[in-house]
Parts: sequence; C-alpha cells; structure tokens
Amino acid sequence: MKTTFTILLVLCSAFAVHAQVDSLFEARRARLIDVVSREQEKSPYVIASKIHKAFEIDRALVLLDSLTYDKGIGGMFYSYSLIGTYLFTKDAIPDSLRKKVRLAYQNRMMYRGDTENHWVMYYTGLYLAAQTWPGETGETWFNGKSSKENLREAGGWLNEWFRISSTIGQGEFDSPTYFITFVTPMIALYEFAADPVMKVKAQLMLDLLFADFAAEHLEGNYGGAHSRDYPEDIINPLGAPSTMWAWLYFGEPKFEQWEETRFRPRNRGGWEAVFGALSSYRLPAIIRNIATDRSESYVHTETKRVRNIIRFGKEKNPPAFKYTYMTKDYVLGSLHGGILQPIQQHTWDVTIPTGKPYNTIFTLHPYYSGSELGMFFPEELKFLSEEVDRYHKVYTNPGKWNSSSPYEQTFQHRNTLLVLYKLEKGVMQPHIDGFFPKNLDERVVDSKGWVFCRTDDTYVGLYFVKPGEWTEETVNWRWRSRALNNGIIVEVGSESEDGSFQTFRTKVLSARIDLKDFDRKNAIHYTNRHGIEMQFSFNGPRVVNRREINLKDYQFFDGPFIQSKWGSGVITIRYKNHSRVLDFTRATIQESH
Amino acid sequence: MLFAGLVWFSAEAQETILMSVLNSRKHRLNVSDNPVVGVFASTDAGNSWEQRGWKEYIRTFYTEADECGVLWSACGNGVLRSTDQGTRWVITTGWEVTEVLKVAVDPSKSSTVYAATAYGIFKTTDDGRTWREKKIGLALPFTSDVVVDRSNRNRVFAATEVGVLLSADGGDSWKTAGLNGLGVRAVVQDPSNSARLWAGTQDDGIFGTTDGGTTWKRMNDGLQHKTVYTIAVHPNNSSLVYLGTHGGGVYRTENGGRKWERRSDGLGNPDVHSLLVLKTNPNTVFAGTLNGGLFRSADGGNTWQFNSQDEGQVWGLSSK
Repeated sequence: MKTTFTILLVLCSAFAVHAQVDSLFEARRARLIDVVSREQEKSPYVIASKIHKAFEIDRALVLLDSLTYDKGIGGMFYSYSLIGTYLFTKDAIPDSLRKKVRLAYQNRMMYRGDTENHWVMYYTGLYLAAQTWPGETGETWFNGKSSKENLREAGGWLNEWFRISSTIGQGEFDSPTYFITFVTPMIALYEFAADPVMKVKAQLMLDLLFADFAAEHLEGNYGGAHSRDYPEDIINPLGAPSTMWAWLYFGEPKFEQWEETRFRPRNRGGWEAVFGALSSYRLPAIIRNIATDRSESYVHTETKRVRNIIRFGKEKNPPAFKYTYMTKDYVLGSLHGGILQPIQQHTWDVTIPTGKPYNTIFTLHPYYSGSELGMFFPEELKFLSEEVDRYHKVYTNPGKWNSSSPYEQTFQHRNTLLVLYKLEKGVMQPHIDGFFPKNLDERVVDSKGWVFCRTDDTYVGLYFVKPGEWTEETVNWRWRSRALNNGIIVEVGSESEDGSFQTFRTKVLSARIDLKDFDRKNAIHYTNRHGIEMQFSFNGPRVVNRREINLKDYQFFDGPFIQSKWGSGVITIRYKNHSRVLDFTRATIQESH
Repeated sequence: MLFAGLVWFSAEAQETILMSVLNSRKHRLNVSDNPVVGVFASTDAGNSWEQRGWKEYIRTFYTEADECGVLWSACGNGVLRSTDQGTRWVITTGWEVTEVLKVAVDPSKSSTVYAATAYGIFKTTDDGRTWREKKIGLALPFTSDVVVDRSNRNRVFAATEVGVLLSADGGDSWKTAGLNGLGVRAVVQDPSNSARLWAGTQDDGIFGTTDGGTTWKRMNDGLQHKTVYTIAVHPNNSSLVYLGTHGGGVYRTENGGRKWERRSDGLGNPDVHSLLVLKTNPNTVFAGTLNGGLFRSADGGNTWQFNSQDEGQVWGLSSK
C-alpha cells in the first residue's frame, strides 16, 4: 500500500519567539545529557549520554559490555533500551562490543510481557534489532525467527497499536508512571526506523502522546485521572516519571526534577528522557503552547478504552470516559468509574501546582479481588491477588492509594464533582479513604459537614454525605469512612474565580444539597455555588440543569485544543489560529495557520 | 533434529516427564545457572530434573511432547516448539497468539496442534508454520484447556468460561457440549475408555460423562473443595481418578467418581494445579502446586513427599 506523507508548513510570523523557545529547549537537552553523563550506574541512558558527550567513554563501554549479558532487566525493557543505546552510539563502539550486542538478541529469550506498555517496548526493540541486522536466519535470533520474520511481526503489531491508539485510544492511557514506557520506545523508533512510513507513524504517535499529555498538563503535573499509576506518583505528582519529559519538552516545571529531593523520581536511574534529548524529534510548537497556555479555563473530555478484558465480559475494550477541567490554578479530573484498569487506577483528583510536594486531594475505595484480576490476567482467580502483591506490593493493602472499584462512580461538571460509593456487604476493604496533604495552608472541618482546604490561592471544598474519621500520617491526613453507601461533593475554586477563601466558603455553604433520596437510591441532587444543578445516582443518569449527559456522546478528544471523532484515526490539534492534523489513516501530518 | 527427539523418547522406552514451572517465589529477574522457571524434564521418574532450553521467565503454562519427541510449550510469549529436546526453541506464533494456557497435539497426526488461549482457540496443521483462529461458535474466548478425542480426531473438546464446547469438525466450529454457563478449568479423556471424560470446574466441582460428552453428571460426593484445576486418570483403571483442587490438595476416587476422598497427607501446599500418573508405574503420582513446588507419591496418592521446585508454581505436567 502506498502511503504518502505530507507536511504543509506555513512559517510563523513570531519566528523570533519560537527561536528563543527552541534555544531554551536546546539548553535543557544539553543540560540533561551533561548531568546524566556524569552518573555511574549501569543504565542504557547513562551509557548513551557518556558516549554522546565523549565523557568517560571507557567507562561507558565497560557498562555497555556488562549490559549485553545483564539479565536483571525485564526482557521487554531490555529489548528496546539496548538497541536504542546501540543505535545512538554505534559509531563509537568497537566491533567486538557490537557483536556482543548482537548476540544478546540471540542468547536471551525475551519476555514479551502481558501489558500494552510491555508490548510497545518489546516490539519496538524487536523491530529495530531486526532492521539493524537484516537477512539473518532464525538460528541467530532468540525466538527462532529470521530477521525478515521478526521485522514483519513487529511491524505488524506496531501498526495495529497505532491504529487502535488513534481510533479508540490506549488502554494504559494518561499515566504519569507509564508515560515513559510509550514515549521512549517511540523516540527510538522515530529516530532509527528506516522505513519512512514507520518513521512518520512514530512521529504521529509521539505527537499524539505529547498532545494528550499537554491538554492535561499544568506546570509539570500530569493532571486529571489516570488509567494506572504507582501510589507514590499519585500522592506526589511531580515525582512521576512524566515530569522529566514535561521539563524537557514543555519547559515546565521550572526546576530540574533530579535536583529537588522532594520531586525526585523513585528510581534515580530513570533517565529515559535522555533518548528524547539525543533524538532529532522536536516537539511541535503548537503542542508546547497547549501545554503551557492556561490563560483560559477549559473543559477537556476524552474517550479511551478499558484494557483488554479476557474473562467475565463480552466486550474486549469497553470505553473509558474521562472529564478534565483545567485552569491556571488547578486541574480537576475524573474517570466515570468502575473497573477500567486492574490494580493501579486513579479515578479522580484535584491537583494544585503549589511548588510543594503532595499537591493533590482525592478519595478512593481500596478494592481488590481475584475476579477483578481475572478479567485481565489468565492465571487462577483464587491466587492472583497474592501473586499481584508480589510485584505491586500494595494490591491487598487496605490503605493503598491506587485502585479501581466497581463500587465507585463519578459525575463532573466543570469544577464540581460528585462521587458515589455503593459498597456491597461483605466486600473486602469495606471503607473509603481520602488523601489530604498535611502541607495544606488550611484545612477547616466545617460544622455543616464541609471540609475546606486552601493551598496558596486555590480552594477545595468537600462534603461527605456520611462522616468519616481523620488520622494523621507521615505526609497526609487520611479521611476514612466505613459507611458502605457514601457520597462526596467536591467544589474547587481559586482567588481568581472566587475571591478570598472566606468568600469561596460562603458561596459553597450556600449551595443546595438535596439528599432525600440518598439512602434509598444513592442519589444526590446538588445545586453548586454557580447555580448549576446536578443530579446523580449510582448506576443512574447524570443530569446537568435537567439535561441528561450521555457519556457515549463523548468524542475521542473534545476540547479547545484537541478534537477527534471517536474511531476516526484523525486528530486535530488547535491553538489560536494554528492547527496540526494527525491523520493516522494516511500517515500524514498537516500543519497550517 | 527429529531423529534426536525419537531417540530421546523411544529408544529406551522410558517415560519422560515434562514439568512447566510458571513462576516461583524464588524467581527474580536475575537468571542463575539454576533457573527456577521454565520447562524441566525427568527421565528417571522424578529422581532428577534437567532444565530444558531458555532460562528466562516467559510464563510457561504447559508443555507436552508429540509421538516423535517434538516439544510444544504453551507460554505467555505464544506457542513454542523444539525439535532438539529443548536446546533450541522457536516461537511458532505471531503477535495474534498470546497467553497460551494449553496445547494439545493431535495424537494421530502430530503436525496438528491446538492451542487454548485467553483470547480463543488456535490450530496449526503444519507443525506451527501457520496458525488459524478457530472461533466459530465460541461464545466467549477464554479457553483454559483443549483435548483431541483419541477415537475421532475431528472431535475436539474445549474448557471455557461458559462450559464444555465440542467441535465435530476439527475446530472449524464449536457447540456447547455441557456444563452450560459454568467456568470449566480442565477436560480430560480417560486413557483406557475414550467415551469417558471428566471436566473440572471453577466453583462447581467435578463432572463426568460416559457417552463421549453427550450427557454430563455432577459427581461431587465427598468433594469438599469445588475448584478443580486438574484431573488425572489411572492409565489402565478407569475407576481410579485424581483431582487437584484449590485449597483441598488432592482428591482420589476408586469407584469412578461415586465417592471422593481427600488424599493430601504430606502435601505442603493445598493448591494443586497439575497432576500426573506415570504410565510406566501408575503407583507413582505427581502433584504440582501453586507456590509449593512439586510433590510425588509412591503409593497412589496415599502419602506425598516434596520432590522439587521449592516455592515454584508447577502449572503443568505431562509425560510421554
């Protein structure tokens, strides 16, 4: 099939501004490579940085040598990072070491994994390796397939992933933790794919990943709800791996993540962004603009998909509906609820860019069950929980900070959110938890049932239908309710929206809460501080000002910056009079203004 | 290559046991010279074991050998095949085939193999060079077991999350054959009576048929643990059957399922996921557990002794 690639560029009149932005980017990428080149751990990114900088090359070659037989890295992580490092540095490494790299793809049986990010890494690595060593027989590859067969298989899967991701979305969408496992392989694919169509598709995917992030980005934070996330990144958003990519490409946050202990990633060696710094991929200015311009508040909705369901459901990838309200002061975002991802779902939060760590507030039901895991993993239901605990440590922990739950549903309208919990009797972990950082400037428990929080000039009010208990923990207050049926009303505001904190509180206290059907139907009828009327009941309709919201009307992307019709494969990015159309169906990018 | 396999399996008429270890509490990513996951083989009734092939973790659920000694392994990475006793393996499937839980070689034509996967049933008729999805009539895809009828190779049984399915045309189409709506974990054909089959279920115990799958009877008398992962039938005595259960270890019947008795004395782990009765010495029975390793009984299941794979998940056992 012949595919054409067209880029229509109309030069921007503000060329000088862009040149300055570009020079700042160049400075950041040089800075990152320089910092990482001085590290010493056996990391593909340290090796690539050292060789690129021609700094401690002997040390880099020793590290690369040991990497060629290191089986301490999971097969899929190894698959793409080794070939990426090799391709970024091969001109500087001796033939003997090149041969060792080649043999790594013969002698090591690489695990393909069982998640979307695993497969992206595995098949990107296999694609680039097969392309790098063409014409070789199956005897020289770990899986017994020839170079040609491996290239065809890997390309086939990658093309299928591009198609799904651009039509019904990623299953592991909007993840601050796992963002790196998609963007880093795509950087390598963009940089080294010899097939021009594959290179364009990698560019399309990079643009899509960054645009998807940009629309929910606020000063380095990946705002809103997330398909899956590590608890450490949920409670401390700027510590997530995605932050370093935001710094590199968006120029935010303004500080260097590795220099700030409180925001340093868990894994000090998480230097994946080095591949970005070494790459010729340049983020389109339009995406950087939508990531950083918060002069206007906006609603952004998305339809993503549930991860592959293999049991207990007729539909393999049901839709996951996402709503985000973005302002310059905060992000309030939510998924519609239920089990959309096993283990690590983050259904809703408000994130506030305060400069402090733990800048978020959210609640969850810390659910777990073998049946939930059995929807997504083929192992035995009755032992999966224990098995998952081996890897994710907290799955069965009653105090965990990530979870999907069939007993949780949300309804959001701009800066107001309703959350309903309807726990069955006998459910494991029969409680609801809320995370409130201790470093809030104010946390006031009002006698009328509201809790008001202030951090800098941003305000959050939460009303709990049934009361809970407060306990102090290391970095946070934990609110815990043991009522099986509960509801939470969340109002978020700021000085620019509401004036003073006292004014915000007064407005919220004057809002009308009607709970007469709560005990019977789990129904909340709420008129918020702006006079917007919201009605919501568990498994019932979502109604705003007496108009029912049908989540199925959500498009793939819908907001001022990104629009895409669900299933179309065409994504339009807009900023002011500037647009960029990512057409995955024709592998074209069209930019104009 | 093929000849090597023939020698291995037939020259001394010994029974080779294949054990698939999915994972282990001792497993870490670092691979040592003594791997704890993968395919292990024994040619001396379990007195010693040798790891075959790759040493890395790729989720190995089940492995069996065909009549020529060719090995087929059901893995997370797909269906793997080895013609040299496991020294080298080829992943025969592409990206479309994943999470393979069981393979079944057609006993009368070893180039034909069925794969039961989390995403449906696949079949090859050319030694794995090509695979085709077999989904007509498959209501839901998740399939945990597949069995080719010895007496009629076109009849294939599948254990699915909504019952036992039967294909009368070599997998081209499927129809419900019983246990409609029940989660079925395992289907086994009696080695000495092809009309007799057993089906173990997720929560409903054990069912048997004596008419080739036309009618099924619940046979749970004495069975206190209703999650049945695995079934093994004595090679020459249809009345003697073993079940591997979740939480209850091994159960045995000596009367064709009319009454079950728990036989778990010495079993260090109550979750038994794989069972094997040696053809060459039916008093020797193996039980593979979830996280407890492999146990062996020398007295037909009356007592068990730990054998190997401490803390390992012995997902599958087979022998040839």
